[in-house]
Amino acid sequence: MTAIVERPLPLHRRIPLFRLVAAIAGGISLIPMLVLLACFFLLPLLYMVRMSLLPDRALAMVAALLEPLSLHQYATLLVDGFFYEMVANSLRVGGTTVVIALAAAYPVAWYLIRVAGSWERTLVSAACMLPLFVNLVVTVFGWNVLLLPFGALQKLLSALGWVDGPIYWARTFWGLSIVLAYETVPFAILILAASIQTIRVDKLNAARILGAGNMRIFLTIVVPLTMPGIVASAILVFSLAISSYLIPTLIAGTKVVVLPLEIFSYITEFLDWPAASAMAILLLVLVFALTWVFTMVAGRLSRRGKWVMV
Amino acid sequence: MIGALRLFTYLIVAIMLLPIVVTGMIAFTSVDTVVFPPPGYSLKWVGGVLSDDHLRIAILRSLGLAVLAAVLAITVGLPCCFLVERVLHRGRVTAETVITAPRMVPEIVFVLALLIFFEKIRIAETLTGLLISHLLICAPFAFRTLAASVSALDRRLEWSSDILGATPTRRFLLVVMPQMKTALISALVFAFILSFNNVTMALLLSAVGERTLPVEMFTRMHVGGMNPVVPAISLMLALIGGILFIVLDRTVGAFSHLSGRA
Repeated sequence: MTAIVERPLPLHRRIPLFRLVAAIAGGISLIPMLVLLACFFLLPLLYMVRMSLLPDRALAMVAALLEPLSLHQYATLLVDGFFYEMVANSLRVGGTTVVIALAAAYPVAWYLIRVAGSWERTLVSAACMLPLFVNLVVTVFGWNVLLLPFGALQKLLSALGWVDGPIYWARTFWGLSIVLAYETVPFAILILAASIQTIRVDKLNAARILGAGNMRIFLTIVVPLTMPGIVASAILVFSLAISSYLIPTLIAGTKVVVLPLEIFSYITEFLDWPAASAMAILLLVLVFALTWVFTMVAGRLSRRGKWVMV
Repeated sequence: MIGALRLFTYLIVAIMLLPIVVTGMIAFTSVDTVVFPPPGYSLKWVGGVLSDDHLRIAILRSLGLAVLAAVLAITVGLPCCFLVERVLHRGRVTAETVITAPRMVPEIVFVLALLIFFEKIRIAETLTGLLISHLLICAPFAFRTLAASVSALDRRLEWSSDILGATPTRRFLLVVMPQMKTALISALVFAFILSFNNVTMALLLSAVGERTLPVEMFTRMHVGGMNPVVPAISLMLALIGGILFIVLDRTVGAFSHLSGRA
């Protein structure tokens, strides 16, 4: 005969107090993250806003918090023609980068989904994800070797007899946009691949049976269905492109002055924190405003697509 | 159709590899200056990377910082995942947005805010400040990767273990952790990579004598002291990065992991 042994309840069941302690411990576990975010994210941003409201950079080092508020920095920036030129440059660079990066990423993402699970997928994605796994200086060094006058590309083209003499691609708008697109293309591929994955093959087959050509299927089915992915990747690539300062510093130098470049030189060369802060906040506002507008517009545009797809 | 797609994809692959290929060629140069194409080939720069004292110290510093930042990011992030995914029902989206907010602010803005704040509380240009800044980049990322995995956990296994009398500690270690193994590995590795490769934060927040590897490379390129040791270390980093990705992709599915939660 086997005796039925009564097992005692586990400790946390027997004593209700233990459960309470466990619940409190759960709440406490959130504290490190909250402290981290409050002390080193929220507080610095608020302090930067306060800094941008100082009239003079000499005040930044002393008791900045007690000074009266002043809109001097913003007033100076917003009447400055050079500031608008920088904003225009940043927007143009950002827009061009988005177009190049998405045009390159969309077909690649599509291909990667088609060959899912194979070694080919692994190797192709390894090449495309390279900028994520290697620090920026590595790839930018390579691009400088390629693009500078008498660099690798010019030597190749000269050997083929296509160009004669030095080419000046590195210090130009297009050189900058191409390198920015190179650095941001992995993000676009990842987001687009996630979005393309959700398209069901039945829908494409149905359209084909009904006689639609490739172009028509792409424009009326694939694009509307992947619109959220296109919008998300465009927003991400755009904000990465217009907030990067290392690539403009190393590739374009002072030939294409974008906003982060100017912020960076106000920090390191002029040590003018109030002006740098004001510019940084305007950049932040610009990024958020454009993200919002873009999401709205895309929502409007894809509404028709949604109705068609129901 | 698929043929054209394949052709285009391989064209992009070639462009992605092009900067690394030319870097690699210069890494094997036989002369002491950076010229392309190299007049002759030798192994002296690639072999000499570790005998460059500044570079070696910078590599060790970067490695230490990245390991610390990755481990701390997981430690800080993991408890939040459970709380956000299981306890908070209404405020879930808000909590996720708050925790991942540092990723939405442009880097240059964030680094400026940290710089002036660190100067104020006197931890600018210290390793503590640098570690905090790296943690701010890694923790939201670790949170996102782990949160997706926590929400995919099979609760029935935990209920079963509870019925069978396991204590919360045992349940966590023997039932929950094994299910989250791949997510933990990829969160750890990606957090490490984010920190190890970060230039933006380190450039403004690290002290002159305590540069991390990417900053050391940036300084040599932009300020001075450029020699073929920079392409040599670049080539090694690219190879290590590539191999790491391939290993991760074949084991934990790096590509699908990243594309789900990019």
